[in-house]
Amino acid sequence: MRFVIVGAGRVGLRTARALRDSGHEVVLIERDPSTVERVRTEGFEVIEGSGSEEADLMETDLETADALGALSGDIGTNFIACMIGKHFGCRTVLRIDEDYREDIYRKYSSDVDEVVYPERLGAIVAKNALLGGNIRAIADIAQNLQLVEYTVTENSPMNGYSLSELELPGDASLLGFGKKDQSIALPSDDYSLEAGDRVVVLADFEALADIQQIIVGDAAPVAVGGA
Amino acid sequence: MVTAYIMIKAHTGDADRLKEDIAAIEGVVDVAIVAGDVDLIAKAQVDTPAEVKEIAANQIQGVDGVEDTQTYVAMH
Repeated sequence: MRFVIVGAGRVGLRTARALRDSGHEVVLIERDPSTVERVRTEGFEVIEGSGSEEADLMETDLETADALGALSGDIGTNFIACMIGKHFGCRTVLRIDEDYREDIYRKYSSDVDEVVYPERLGAIVAKNALLGGNIRAIADIAQNLQLVEYTVTENSPMNGYSLSELELPGDASLLGFGKKDQSIALPSDDYSLEAGDRVVVLADFEALADIQQIIVGDAAPVAVGGA
Repeated sequence: MVTAYIMIKAHTGDADRLKEDIAAIEGVVDVAIVAGDVDLIAKAQVDTPAEVKEIAANQIQGVDGVEDTQTYVAMH
């Protein structure tokens, strides 16, 4: 596919690299001349100009792009870029600068297909690193609802029990299960819980600590060493 | 008659409620939810400059979810 990325800063450039690594065609548009030069040395096609100027944006051959990522640090520029992109038939992704704005842009802007707030994803990664090896927050589904992957340890009270015997507190739902070193799949009652197995649960924030006690166990050692 | 435009920065995503609350303030004749550094712009039409200050500083800033306002008085 072919993508236009507005802004070649931290977020835009990394996104461009990720798309290129997946075999896609990417063209960036960037206002700052020294950034333009630097990103060109990485082999990217970069248009020097503003993402909120239609004439500049057209130099990216917008009509042939599948999607436009408005990923600069300026929300005004990003929004106008999405309006122009939508006019030319692109799928549009808007980067926002403050999390409360997510709902506003989702609700009111028909020119924006997706809203991204990179800091939120960064916070999830940082949280996982802080929590250690046996708990991994996958996503915040809603304000009080989280998708979490727990790893069963030797200390787990459920170690040796079957999935059908697992009773999760607080109406939490078991969504996925993976035996040690195997990929996560839909849970089946026949599986037994053993150290190293992973359990994916959708739960209310308030129930997370209880679920951790049941699946991971108390005083769980951080990151059980493997092979 | 004094006309003023008040830029409003929110700290909540509940823009519908903000818009309603601000539109209900006496002297405010129009409110729009906008994209960019501010989240809403209100237009006020009142008799005196003092009333502009009352609307912006006391009434709009007093609405729950409003973080900051900036007021611009129209010259003509």
